[in-house]
Amino acid sequence: MSIGSFIVKNALRNKRRAALSVLSVAASMFLLVTLLVTQRELTMPPEDLGAALRVVVRSKISLAQPLPARQRAIIEKIEGVEAVSPFSWFGGKFKSEAHMTFAQFAMDAAKLRAIFGEAKMEPGAYEAFESDRNSCIIGKLTADKYGIKRGDKITFTSEIYPVTLEMKVAGIYSGTIDDRNVLFHQKLLDESMGNPGEVGTWWVKVRSAEEMPRVIEAINRAFANTSAEVRAESERAFQLSFVSMWGNIKILVGSISTVVVFTLVLVCASTMSMAVRERFRELAILKALGFRRRELYTFILAESFGLAGVGGALGIGWAWLFYTHSREAGISLVPVAAFLAVLAVRYFYRREILAGLLSLAGVWFFAKAAAFLVVKGSIAGLTNNIFVLFEVTPRIAGWAALVAAGLGILASIFPAISVARTSVVQGLKTLD
Amino acid sequence: MEAENIVMIRHLTKVYQQGDIQVAALNGISLDIAAGEFLSLMGPSGSGKSTLLHIIAGVDRPTSGQCLVQGLDVAQLSETELADWRNQNIGFVFQTFNLIPVLTAFENVELPLLLTALGRRQRRRQVETALELVGLADRAHHLPRQLSGGQEQRVAIARALVTDPAIIVADEPTGNLDSHSAQEVLGILRTLSAKAGKTVILVTHDPKAAAYGTRSIHLEKGELSG
Repeated sequence: MSIGSFIVKNALRNKRRAALSVLSVAASMFLLVTLLVTQRELTMPPEDLGAALRVVVRSKISLAQPLPARQRAIIEKIEGVEAVSPFSWFGGKFKSEAHMTFAQFAMDAAKLRAIFGEAKMEPGAYEAFESDRNSCIIGKLTADKYGIKRGDKITFTSEIYPVTLEMKVAGIYSGTIDDRNVLFHQKLLDESMGNPGEVGTWWVKVRSAEEMPRVIEAINRAFANTSAEVRAESERAFQLSFVSMWGNIKILVGSISTVVVFTLVLVCASTMSMAVRERFRELAILKALGFRRRELYTFILAESFGLAGVGGALGIGWAWLFYTHSREAGISLVPVAAFLAVLAVRYFYRREILAGLLSLAGVWFFAKAAAFLVVKGSIAGLTNNIFVLFEVTPRIAGWAALVAAGLGILASIFPAISVARTSVVQGLKTLD
Repeated sequence: MEAENIVMIRHLTKVYQQGDIQVAALNGISLDIAAGEFLSLMGPSGSGKSTLLHIIAGVDRPTSGQCLVQGLDVAQLSETELADWRNQNIGFVFQTFNLIPVLTAFENVELPLLLTALGRRQRRRQVETALELVGLADRAHHLPRQLSGGQEQRVAIARALVTDPAIIVADEPTGNLDSHSAQEVLGILRTLSAKAGKTVILVTHDPKAAAYGTRSIHLEKGELSG
């Protein structure tokens, strides 16, 4: 026997309690990772590779205020600008849907590849889109969701403009960070509105990252003291300003995370206290045999750390699997459901009806969850395209692992102190 | 001759504070115990016999007086030094066996050796020898719950002697045993004293058990009475 195997045997002496402790830590760590990932996705939206070279120009008054179309020529002349396209939010409802479920933007199709080079389409689709002003391209996620194919005609009724537009799907794009939107011709919108000479925003492609600050400065200066002053900013800054409309998500998520961690500390500390209390006498015996305080503390710490560590690894691992490989996560639940089914049969055979029914409920839950995950297949499917990416980054996993480790240490402190303070004689008197 | 005394106790007192009241468990005791002696400490409950045993074994400290074990005033040692000293010099046998329930008999006996620098093979040899001495070599891989009370206490004795300590302290070791098992356990303790030269200090209130010792002393209200 080694000290390590002694610690493991002690930790597993009450298998049910150890399993429940590990599961409670795992569930809480899963929740914590979910909160951290949600916060990250909301406050730091994912960006395309090309985002570093894109500038968004909007009205200085408000995003809803249109900009004059004549600004385009001025922006194009600024040194370092490679391409400019209008980008107007159409705000259309698809078919008879009560709410807008995905975004549509009017733009200059000829500048699509220059500004959004990440979009990948089938051969000929780009040309078809560019040549037909009544056409559009649609993101793969939305096309798959509604079963839209190339050549289909789709109709949108705008909640911003008093028009309904019908357009033909020229292509289905993918490979961008957000394959949900519909892009169509600004000219189609202009014509339907009687050429008002206005656009929503300008999206500008800059030649190099070094030129970004100067170009932004030049655009802002170009329209200063005009009737349509603008605010030019990098795509990242633009997205983050959008995020601020969510309110202070960080504080909210941070508060919930703190409560989760605090609760977890209490659960773990209580579990460890119980585990130590029930073998107080044994620890006194170990002291009598010559084990020192630091060795006893090591035992308690290792046990606590082990429980928190296994729970943390399960929770973080499961979150990673769940969010990045949803289908596989669903498949991994099948053996759990099968195991519970075997348990249920065993319980019923032994006439332990309540345990049998609980196991059956577990079978139902895990089977449903597995089917749901396999069918939905991805985080986009799971969240109805609200989130396209839900990435458990190494940083988030690291933070969660650190919390689990801290938890293990914190939960061991109070039991260790009480063991250290108790003399062998006091310990031997317990339970006598 | 003083040189033969493994334990020398002089004017030993132990006072416990219970709320506002002071309770004297030991009241100026002086006692010598010779090396290899099998001493029975007798007395009624609360007479201070377990307290005296705990002080000799280094798990409790006296309020005043001196307790020299192998010439060393153990009360002067720090907690860490005491722990090491106990591991090397004292073997404990308790009334309620106090084996670790998740460890086999072998592993329970091996436990004190984990604190030593001995290698796995040497530890195994010592554990097997200790289990053979108590007649339980064939039960080495049984868990405590798979053993009878007498067997559990014999495992506890094996654990007490596996580090080859000079002194074995036994606090009511037969209190939870039937008479047959009690005789076996007391017989082993007597053999350890007579043949292996171990000093055995037995606390008991049973005259039959005390009769196994080479000397009996009585404690009454914290004082030696005979």
